[in-house]
Amino acid sequence: MKLLKYNKAVILVMIAIAITSCTHEEQPGESQLDFTQPVQTTLDKWIASNYLNPYNINVQYKWNQNTVDNSRYLFPPTTEKVQPALEIVQKIWLDSYSKIGGADFVKKISPREIVLVGGVNLNSVGTRTLGLAEGGQRVTLFETDYIDRSDRGNITEFIHTIQHEYIHILNQNKPFDEKAWAAITPSGYTADWYNFEIPESNEIGFVTSYARLNINEDFAETASIILISSKAEYAAFLANIESPEALAALKAKEALVVKYFKEAFNMDFYALRDEAEKNTNAVIIN
Amino acid sequence: MKIKNIYKYLFAALLALQLSSCDNNTDAEQKFDQTPTERLNAQKSELNEALLSSPEGWKAVYFTDNTILGGYTHLFKFAADGTVIMASDFSKDLKTQVSTKSEYAVQLGSTVSLTFTTKNWIHLLSDSYDYPVDALLAEGYRGDFQFLYYGQENGEIIFRTNRNNRELRFVKATAKDWTDLPKNFDMIPNVIGSDARPLFRLLETNDGTTKHQFDFSFSEVTRYAEANSIEAGYSVNYNMGIGYTPTGIVVSPAVEVGGQKLTNFTYNDADGSFTATGTGGVTAVIKYTDKPLSLTNDYKALLTGQPYALFGFYTDDYTVDAPTNSKLFQAEIDKINAALPAGQSVASVQLYFNHSLGTFIYYTFNGRAALQHYVTVEEDAVGKKIILKHKSWNGNTTVATPAFLASFDKYFMDTNGIYVKRESFRLVYTNVVYTFTSSSSPFRMTTWKIN
Repeated sequence: MKLLKYNKAVILVMIAIAITSCTHEEQPGESQLDFTQPVQTTLDKWIASNYLNPYNINVQYKWNQNTVDNSRYLFPPTTEKVQPALEIVQKIWLDSYSKIGGADFVKKISPREIVLVGGVNLNSVGTRTLGLAEGGQRVTLFETDYIDRSDRGNITEFIHTIQHEYIHILNQNKPFDEKAWAAITPSGYTADWYNFEIPESNEIGFVTSYARLNINEDFAETASIILISSKAEYAAFLANIESPEALAALKAKEALVVKYFKEAFNMDFYALRDEAEKNTNAVIIN
Repeated sequence: MKIKNIYKYLFAALLALQLSSCDNNTDAEQKFDQTPTERLNAQKSELNEALLSSPEGWKAVYFTDNTILGGYTHLFKFAADGTVIMASDFSKDLKTQVSTKSEYAVQLGSTVSLTFTTKNWIHLLSDSYDYPVDALLAEGYRGDFQFLYYGQENGEIIFRTNRNNRELRFVKATAKDWTDLPKNFDMIPNVIGSDARPLFRLLETNDGTTKHQFDFSFSEVTRYAEANSIEAGYSVNYNMGIGYTPTGIVVSPAVEVGGQKLTNFTYNDADGSFTATGTGGVTAVIKYTDKPLSLTNDYKALLTGQPYALFGFYTDDYTVDAPTNSKLFQAEIDKINAALPAGQSVASVQLYFNHSLGTFIYYTFNGRAALQHYVTVEEDAVGKKIILKHKSWNGNTTVATPAFLASFDKYFMDTNGIYVKRESFRLVYTNVVYTFTSSSSPFRMTTWKIN
């Protein structure tokens, strides 16, 4: 019995030692990770005050292999080309939507990230991918090194890309009436859209050949082509359509776009077009 | 079990625990005494320091894919503020030899990597829209601009490219490298080959005892050369990407001769050759020759006594576009036209062998009467050539060669002879193609066999 008591005491002591013996281990020190902020260039500061702070949109122009397709031979933009490109985006897209949709509109629904790529994204069939919109969060714009503000055709193509991709972002947030849309020109959709001339596609009720890829592209093309055209230009385009069925289809699609903007965002689509046109004219250097 | 025993075992167990618990010594060797983060950070700063350590920056001859493309020399000077100054020999037209500033970053990819984050000359290799041949559609020059860090060796920084996993070494640059970079462009015409040099080119290897010869062809747009063995039963070939240097060329993959890897060739302006020298008499030479690498007996069909044969070159048909017409030949045709009065020009040059009228060169013109240069044919059986000798102009043995034709015609009268080759290609039509080459000058005419 005595031995047992003695043992108990010894064991208690030893447990105490066992529990406390390793407490001299080092406390965690400073983090190994590098938290120092990269040097902010003038451009970085401009982006912060024009995109990041007002709209919570991050602009990525420096190469990051995680945001581009590594199987494509692309390259980052020339630094000097970044701000002019972003000014165009700001003026024609952000300003137009803010004016018509309300100051908070783009803050609520916008890509959280814009990725700029300097080079052309050439596909193996010879077509160029001008932009990408992913998951309602990110828009990638290609060919920023080729932007020329003195060339209306060049600017229009770049703006077309932005407007087109933003329509995707809007659709990714609030879907359009896909069922009604799909019923308009159901037989015109094709994966090899690039084998058709644009006038040929116009005559079967598509605003461009690319619109024939699927209904999502059709919607984005229809809306963005109207946005980059003036009222008179689009009216002239419609007036040139010979087939009455095609004309009816294009008008039905336009009506669905207008309805979508009204119902989903309470926005006057035509007012948006007029505002975009005004801003486009302001951007182009004559 | 009695409770007393339980205490005993417990006692023993606790004692064992105390004696061993805090002992972190193991017999195994400690491979890493740092955490992965510490190691990556160490690598990052190691690479950063290395990039900044060379006062004149770094040089890299970037062979993006040495199965189809050559090397592009780039010079880099890194600054601590994340900017890099770069020059390259990619294109004289784009003035890539002029130093340009952009940004770089040492960042974590699949491992620590050097990335050129904003556009500079190196990105020209990775432009899907600018590809040198159709096989590289949408792939540009297959270049990369993110390089994974694989350590250092003999003062060189070793990278592997991110996309294609090819080794790329940065070697310390000198001030001379920067000033001499434009000289790389001056080397290009030497590699392409000069009109003034002989027409045939070969690569000759010598392993100290045996020589082998390979025909040599070079594509300027891809900076790629192919050299195939001309010897029967010896099917070696050397295909290599070529990079230009101020003094010659550097090739990849190396030309392996006698177990030695030769990569640096030095240019000799006296004969237009490029020579790489190893040890023990091992050499590889790219050089010109007046003689075709493989001689044929095709000339025999043109000798006296053979059936009638007619060969024609026409200035308004596909023969004029044949790549086998030499620059000198084209220049000589132009020279005739320039010497003729306005409104007159050469229409054809036809070679009649063993015709009922004899053997003659038949010159036809637009806006002027044809001329017949009668000749005799002799055989050079050793050199496998024919030698044409003047007989008369239009049957008149005393009249001199017309002045406007003299320069052109003298190549056919080459006293050293003319090589005749039945070519394996066709020029659109089914007619067999023959070439006639002066053996002493780079003069070659391409014809159809008409009859």
